[in-house]
Amino acid sequence: MWRFAIQNLVSRPLRTLLALAGLSVAIAGMVGLFSVAEGIDRMVTDTFSRIPGLAMMQAGAPLPLFSRMPAGWAVEIEKLDGVRVVNPEVWARVNVIKGKRVIAPPRFLFGTNIASRLRLETDVYRDAMVEGRFLDSTDHNQLHAVISRQIAEDNEIGVDDELSINGDNFRIVGIYHCGQLMLDVSIIVDIDLLRRLTRFDRDSVCAYYIEPDGTVDNDVLVEQIRELFRGREIQSTGNIVGAIATGHPLIDLLLAIQNWLAGGTGASNREAVDGDAEPIEVRTADDWAKRFDEFSADLNLFLGVMTGIGVVIAVLSIINTMLMSVTERIIEFGILKANGWRRRDVMTLITCESAVLGVTGGVIGCLVGWIGTDIINSTWPNRLQLYASPSLLAISLIFSTTLGIAAGLYPATWAMRLSPMEAIRRG
Amino acid sequence: MTQQPTPTPSIEIQELTKEFTIGSTTVSALRGVTTTISDGSFQFVLGPSGSGKSTLLYLLGALDRPTAGSITIDGQKINELSREDQDRFRRHEVGFVFQSFNLLSNLTAIENVLAPFLPIGVSADLRQRADHLLEQVGLGDRRQHRPRELSGGEQQRVAIARALLKQPKLVLADEPTGELDHKTGREVMGYLRQLHQDQGATVVVVTHDESYIEPGDEIMRLLDGAVVNGPQTDQSPAEFDTDE
Repeated sequence: MWRFAIQNLVSRPLRTLLALAGLSVAIAGMVGLFSVAEGIDRMVTDTFSRIPGLAMMQAGAPLPLFSRMPAGWAVEIEKLDGVRVVNPEVWARVNVIKGKRVIAPPRFLFGTNIASRLRLETDVYRDAMVEGRFLDSTDHNQLHAVISRQIAEDNEIGVDDELSINGDNFRIVGIYHCGQLMLDVSIIVDIDLLRRLTRFDRDSVCAYYIEPDGTVDNDVLVEQIRELFRGREIQSTGNIVGAIATGHPLIDLLLAIQNWLAGGTGASNREAVDGDAEPIEVRTADDWAKRFDEFSADLNLFLGVMTGIGVVIAVLSIINTMLMSVTERIIEFGILKANGWRRRDVMTLITCESAVLGVTGGVIGCLVGWIGTDIINSTWPNRLQLYASPSLLAISLIFSTTLGIAAGLYPATWAMRLSPMEAIRRG
Repeated sequence: MTQQPTPTPSIEIQELTKEFTIGSTTVSALRGVTTTISDGSFQFVLGPSGSGKSTLLYLLGALDRPTAGSITIDGQKINELSREDQDRFRRHEVGFVFQSFNLLSNLTAIENVLAPFLPIGVSADLRQRADHLLEQVGLGDRRQHRPRELSGGEQQRVAIARALLKQPKLVLADEPTGELDHKTGREVMGYLRQLHQDQGATVVVVTHDESYIEPGDEIMRLLDGAVVNGPQTDQSPAEFDTDE
């Protein structure tokens, strides 16, 4: 039966190819769209997995860039049980590099307290050094910076070269490579230097990175920190939540994600109503990952709707193809029925044909989608890396097969019900 | 697989009526036909176009249901069979040969012969029998050819082999020589007669061309959906008017 079905499809090559093209494009589109979601998911998961500590920011701030907290809180946090290191951070947007405006991808000056940074057991940047050295005590208040390989390549500079950032000439002392879009945007400098250059309040920080010592459960530690600062006020120096766009679509998207995540923190909202507001948010990597999963579900729903449009067109294409094929072969089905084929045999034959279309279209679509993401990733290695996972490809293939079978059911039912005598008489 | 010879059917047709409704018009294709077809006979059904010959043939093959009346084959009223039983009846007991050959263009000659059995599986024995039948109709060396590579006569011989593979009790041929020249038509009719003798099936042939009738053949004439003469055995073909 399968062989007969394949022969029937092969004998009408143009029509079969057109139906396959329709389905393949839809499936390739599906793979392409969902590979964006998977790429973001993988990037976020990978990024968080490299940052095992806790991130503490001002409540509601979408990024550390927009967060302000008193610098003196570091001492209080360090006293808590289970805290190994507290590393204060100051962030600033890079507007100009080598006299050129920086729009996309964005770049950030990341001021870190070098002394506490060096005490971190795991440092996502220090562990990713590929050339030169990380900042040390000799770099305090010096125009010295560690940049990502991506930034170095973009500006064709290396270690010991100078780079003009926002009008200041920095000497590059080291180059790191995390291989992640969200991490490789940073230009790491001394925190006091950055405060001075950006006229940032010397008694404030943007965020704290807290490295636990492992003696206390992370959730317990988070609660301890929240409890420590609950009810305190932060004298705002201009928290501009969500008011600034970076100019980079992906980063803007991630900002929106973070903004959404921040807005979704029920605890701070609830307690603000109670008059016992939490001025800060402390998040673990797991916390981020869980919240991102919720966002992913919404994103997937959106992508599913977009894919659905293509899929509807593909389904109509298969139905049309199979209907035309069935109409053309009415006499053939009459002859087969005259020779004893049962109604369900005719239906099985047509369903086999549409299933072959579904499987083949799925395989081609998956291949095209997979190769397409590979080409896009190779062409723009420094942008978001799309990811067509094996499970995405498998689901697409199963979906395509199901689609093919479903689309063939109506023509098959129509052919099944056809009276053999009526069919033969048409000949 | 060995198959015991099956008894040939005695066909009794009682008050058979078939009406078709086209729009608001009802057309009577058969008007109370009552006749019998003898076991193992070579029966010709003659009559002008529109006389109801093909309709009668399709009703005999359970391809359609009569409006009224009955067809009894081997004591079984086939017009009362369920759809599944009708399918089974056609699969095992009836072989059809059509005017337009009606081979499946994607299949080779041997695959066309085996086509009725594709859904239930083709055994080695069936394939051997199909090979044998193709040899019997002179197509032993053309079994891998597709219909477009065969002449009209060859295609009809493949169709005859297909009809006979199941060793049917009843072979129904609707104008089997209608699209062939006379010489080829005679050859094809010869193969049909040869296989009729070999297998002992009852053969019912609808035709316009009475020159194929031979002594001993049974003849039924239809006109406007009714039998105009009872079953009769031909003695002299020249007596019949062939002007149709």
